[in-house]
Amino acid sequence: MQRDIFLAGAGQTRFGEHWDKSLRDLMNEAIDAAITSSPCTALDIDMIVIGNMLGEIGSDQAHLGSLTSALLPHRPPAIRVESACASGSLALHTACAFLESGRAKTVLVVGAEKMTDVSADVIAEALMGAADAEEDRPAGLTFPGIFGLIASRYMYEYGLKRDDLSIVSAVHHARAKENPYAQFRSEISPEAVSRSTLVADPLRLLDCSPISDGAAACILSTQHQSDIRIAASQIAVDTLSLVHRPSITSFSATKDAAEKALQEAKIKLSEIRFLETHDCFSIAALINVEDLGFADPGHGISVYRRLFERKNDAPVLVNESGGLKGCGHPVAATGIKQIIDIAKVLRRDGERFGMAHNFGGAAATCGVHILEHSHA
Amino acid sequence: MPDTSPVAHRAQKKLSHKLQNGMVLACTTLMHPPARVGRHPRHIALIQLEDHTRIIASVTSPLPIGAPVRPRMRLQTVNEEGLRIYDVSFEPVQQKASPMLDFPGYILALTGPAGVGRTTVGRLLLHMTAEVTEEVPITRTCPRKTAKEKGTHCVTKRAFTEMKQKGEIVAMAHAVTDTDEECWCGYRASDIERIWKKGKLPVVITETHLLQGLASHYGRRSLLSFGLLPPGRSKRTMLSHLLRRLLKSGERSQELVKRSLKQAERELAFLRDRKDLFDRIFVNGDLQTVVESLRKHVPMPKDSRYNPPARS
Repeated sequence: MQRDIFLAGAGQTRFGEHWDKSLRDLMNEAIDAAITSSPCTALDIDMIVIGNMLGEIGSDQAHLGSLTSALLPHRPPAIRVESACASGSLALHTACAFLESGRAKTVLVVGAEKMTDVSADVIAEALMGAADAEEDRPAGLTFPGIFGLIASRYMYEYGLKRDDLSIVSAVHHARAKENPYAQFRSEISPEAVSRSTLVADPLRLLDCSPISDGAAACILSTQHQSDIRIAASQIAVDTLSLVHRPSITSFSATKDAAEKALQEAKIKLSEIRFLETHDCFSIAALINVEDLGFADPGHGISVYRRLFERKNDAPVLVNESGGLKGCGHPVAATGIKQIIDIAKVLRRDGERFGMAHNFGGAAATCGVHILEHSHA
Repeated sequence: MPDTSPVAHRAQKKLSHKLQNGMVLACTTLMHPPARVGRHPRHIALIQLEDHTRIIASVTSPLPIGAPVRPRMRLQTVNEEGLRIYDVSFEPVQQKASPMLDFPGYILALTGPAGVGRTTVGRLLLHMTAEVTEEVPITRTCPRKTAKEKGTHCVTKRAFTEMKQKGEIVAMAHAVTDTDEECWCGYRASDIERIWKKGKLPVVITETHLLQGLASHYGRRSLLSFGLLPPGRSKRTMLSHLLRRLLKSGERSQELVKRSLKQAERELAFLRDRKDLFDRIFVNGDLQTVVESLRKHVPMPKDSRYNPPARS
């Protein structure tokens, strides 16, 4: 990073079904919480970056820059960033670029999504916008289907058993129980996951992250210092469709972004103590821990087995917040929520480094952020 | 991407590339596919084509990784403007479908929609050529009024399934009935081979699925296949002719007539689309003429009383 960028404030709404709140209400709540938690006032904010994917379909609302800016008294300039589920981390990355260049000193980064005002069918089709409309969509594929294909191939290549895969969601639910902002604060057993309704063979209902409303906001600043510093902010991109990739059981965008991020932070992977990873489907969590380097290909499940047994010898603590499965997945809010959660656990345990890994589509865009806790 | 005409047109231009054989790399079954492609569970696969490009396409059944598949055009959706949009779907290349290499003998097949008079024509032909032909009894799982008539062999569902598993059934299809009960019919290899052993020509009075089954089992060249169409220039006149005949026979309930007519519509389309499966298609206008023409195609022993000898 060319400048020291600090996490000056952060706040979020609870993720879940907020029938009484609009997209604007959700953003307002998260922004209020972020400003309240920071040492600065609303007037210190030079710029807003808003990440959102489904405003047009979920709320009939485009032009979110202006909408968000009007929530602050002095209407700072605002831009909207979209890259499907990675919108959150792309918004953060954009904000870092403004801060590094010196164009802004304090940036409010917001990720917000309102998904429950329209039917699940409409949202499922809209989410397919994150895949290739010409290659993937015509056959009738949906996102659970894309990850169903990935899971079936993964099981074939590495011999992963269905019952083993069920551990992943059980771990995430167990962690979400402790998180007051999570959508599902109940534990589930791996057996319950294996028994749940089939969605896209071999993936079952409890392998999939839910449709959620929610917003998360954070204030990044080069001016207002705090104990959390952004040590790295990197993005990487892969082909939009699976059909153009040599392998579907590994995501090269994740590998590229993580490698660049570790270089930028000038640390080794082993120094990362906490990981918030993008577990939109349980199989994705396994592939992610492998691609990030915490397990060999095909052995991601061994990390989750240790997490399930709450053993201390896990190479990294994954999704202490509950991940996308436990917390819910309001598309663009997720990337920012991950930063907030990493900051929380670093402060809680007095650890130094944590990594947030967020991707869009089938890891066609990937954002990796490394946070450093200076009081550790 | 919307299902509008320009989008469909652009997609259509790329379709020819997808018409290649391929291999399944990954397969999933979507229990709740998008409404635009229908409400039934949908099987979708990542397929590697022969030219090593990959595509995502629907497949006709859940397939294991590594299964060889071949393309076929399939109606994908009908858009709001009524445009029928087709896409390539893949079906497994059937491993068992190795048509017999040696020529086992001829089977005379008479195919046509219900009500066209194929039974009448067939029986008359059988009667006139009784010395050299014999009807292959059809094996079916549920009795019908006509069950007692000659040429039908009734078995239980269980027995039918067992025969199928043992590979004794060479062609099978759903039978049209007036109940909702699932009913299967098919031909046993033993029945056909018994007739060959007698030195006679097996005759099947059949429908499209059974015809395809026979063609894939014994090979197309073993079939002397004749289609029978009702008189009439258009589909509408043909169907109204069939309806008249179905009602006239009085054997069938109203529901069965309805189902038979639907089936007939499909079979008419089949006769039009799969001309390759027929040696000749006759229009059943005058019974005598049709039977006479058919008789000419029955291979007769030289010393037979029946003349003239076969011409093909």
